[in-house]
Amino acid sequence: MSMAEVCCDSAVVVGAEAEARARARAGRRRRAGVEGAGRWNATATAAGVAAEEAATRKRRASGGEAGLVVVAKRHGAASVAGRRREMEDAVSLREAFAAPANGEVAAARCDFYGVFDGHGCSHVADACRERMHELVAEEMGAGSPAAAAREPASWTETMERSFARMDAEVIAGCRAESGSCRCEGQKCDHVGSTAVVAVVEESRVVVANCGDSRAVLCRGGAPVQLSSDHKPDRPDELERIEAAGGRVIFWEGARVLGVLAMSRSIGDAYLKPYVTAVPEVTVTGRSDFDECLILASDGLWDVVSNEAACEVAQSCLRRGRQRWCAEAAAVLTKLALARRSSDNISVVVVDLRRGNAL
Amino acid sequence: MPCIPASSPGIPHQHQHQHHRALAGVGMAVGCAAEAAVAAAGVAGTRCGAHDGEVPMEVARHHEHAEPGSGRCCSAVVQHVAAPAAAVWSVVRRFDQPQAYKRFVRSCALLAGDGGVGTLREVRVVSGLPAASSRERLEILDDESHVLSFRVVGGEHRLKNYLSVTTVHPSPSAPTAATVVVESYVVDVPPGNTPEDTRVFVDTIVKCNLQSLAKTAEKLAAGARAAGS
Repeated sequence: MSMAEVCCDSAVVVGAEAEARARARAGRRRRAGVEGAGRWNATATAAGVAAEEAATRKRRASGGEAGLVVVAKRHGAASVAGRRREMEDAVSLREAFAAPANGEVAAARCDFYGVFDGHGCSHVADACRERMHELVAEEMGAGSPAAAAREPASWTETMERSFARMDAEVIAGCRAESGSCRCEGQKCDHVGSTAVVAVVEESRVVVANCGDSRAVLCRGGAPVQLSSDHKPDRPDELERIEAAGGRVIFWEGARVLGVLAMSRSIGDAYLKPYVTAVPEVTVTGRSDFDECLILASDGLWDVVSNEAACEVAQSCLRRGRQRWCAEAAAVLTKLALARRSSDNISVVVVDLRRGNAL
Repeated sequence: MPCIPASSPGIPHQHQHQHHRALAGVGMAVGCAAEAAVAAAGVAGTRCGAHDGEVPMEVARHHEHAEPGSGRCCSAVVQHVAAPAAAVWSVVRRFDQPQAYKRFVRSCALLAGDGGVGTLREVRVVSGLPAASSRERLEILDDESHVLSFRVVGGEHRLKNYLSVTTVHPSPSAPTAATVVVESYVVDVPPGNTPEDTRVFVDTIVKCNLQSLAKTAEKLAAGARAAGS
């Protein structure tokens, strides 16, 4: 397959030698293509679903060490196991995922993006990648108002129902069709995942979050955080957990019952009702100053600040490449690796500029 | 630690604090209709009586230990399984295959021995937990009394000097169809934590493991019944 130009820069292995090669390559006017196998495999396609499937196959085939980059016109994604042996993150990229409501302009944007950081095993995050957008689409259709007229409270309801259904499915043992993990059909109450999802419409960005992944909007070069991390020692989360009869114990960080480092997740049946799957939902109006939306797992945010992430995105945008989102996602992932993130790293960057035509 | 058995008392005892009782109250504890245990004769002040009333009388002697001193703590978890004791024991006794029922185990490698007393295993733990690995030595494997004991001798975790005992015995109310599993442990309290913290953490892991054991053994027994009919 042909690689888009952005992939050449993305396919650089982190390290002194690789950095030197990258700098040399950047100085060339013409690209000769990627020399040798890099850490990254790249897929270029306008259809998120096809890219998603190809990316999934690549990730499975190449094992935990390899990463992946998904390149599309309006978004890009990068995902890597990093220093952890197993890859338990999943990314979902679904353009035009829901049919427009009656009366709505058919071409109106309605895209779904999600990052799911699994723990205990990968199958809950995989199930979220396969199903969450379908559940959100169903719940959107179930509501009577057209999407454009949907009130924030209605979005909250839609997302809460979608997350509750996703949680119920994984706890009931529904397994992602593409899943192949070591659990072998056992019921796995100890497996869970974060879920940070975004629905990008013409005029708004809706974010629903459960766990400690995060969504950040880059507006005029400055970060606007659209989600709040669910850490067990966040004062209101601590209060909710203790009111339910649970405890937050400091055991290599604040953990619910000393075990789990987040206070909300999809799955983790053994820690209910302390660890809940209720998302926090924000509805944010889009503006002409918006550059992009970044969704990422804590493998990125633990070592890269919101400000630094926006700077990286803006510098990729300024380079003027068409597939700058994929480049930004890949650069952010490499930056997290360079800063010795100890977790899987997954990054989605969505172009929010007005008038960027396909 | 996923291999580490823990227990949450169904009956609160004097060492518990408010939160722990709350935990028991909301169903965190495994249902424990323990028979009243006759306290075994022991030297006053040295024998731990913390689990009297929780650990069934039939196996209490296996779970005896000295009163944990300062800096130590202990607990016992009781799990009822709707499967014959033989089926349950066949899963519990496989020291070389803890992942058969311990969900927090990602893999297990034997470093020494072949499954008998003295076997040393290195267990790698699934992601998301505050531990990466545990090195454990099999201390007791009694196929007559259905007693297994292991000691944690290393690994990447915060639980030092951990020693556990697991017993499997037929349920008095339904001896051929149901089983009572008891897992008790003694462990150091890590720096910066309280005995209560430590019990909550370890009990959570062990409870999850024993509930998984129940499902595994019940499935095994169902399979055996189907084959037999």
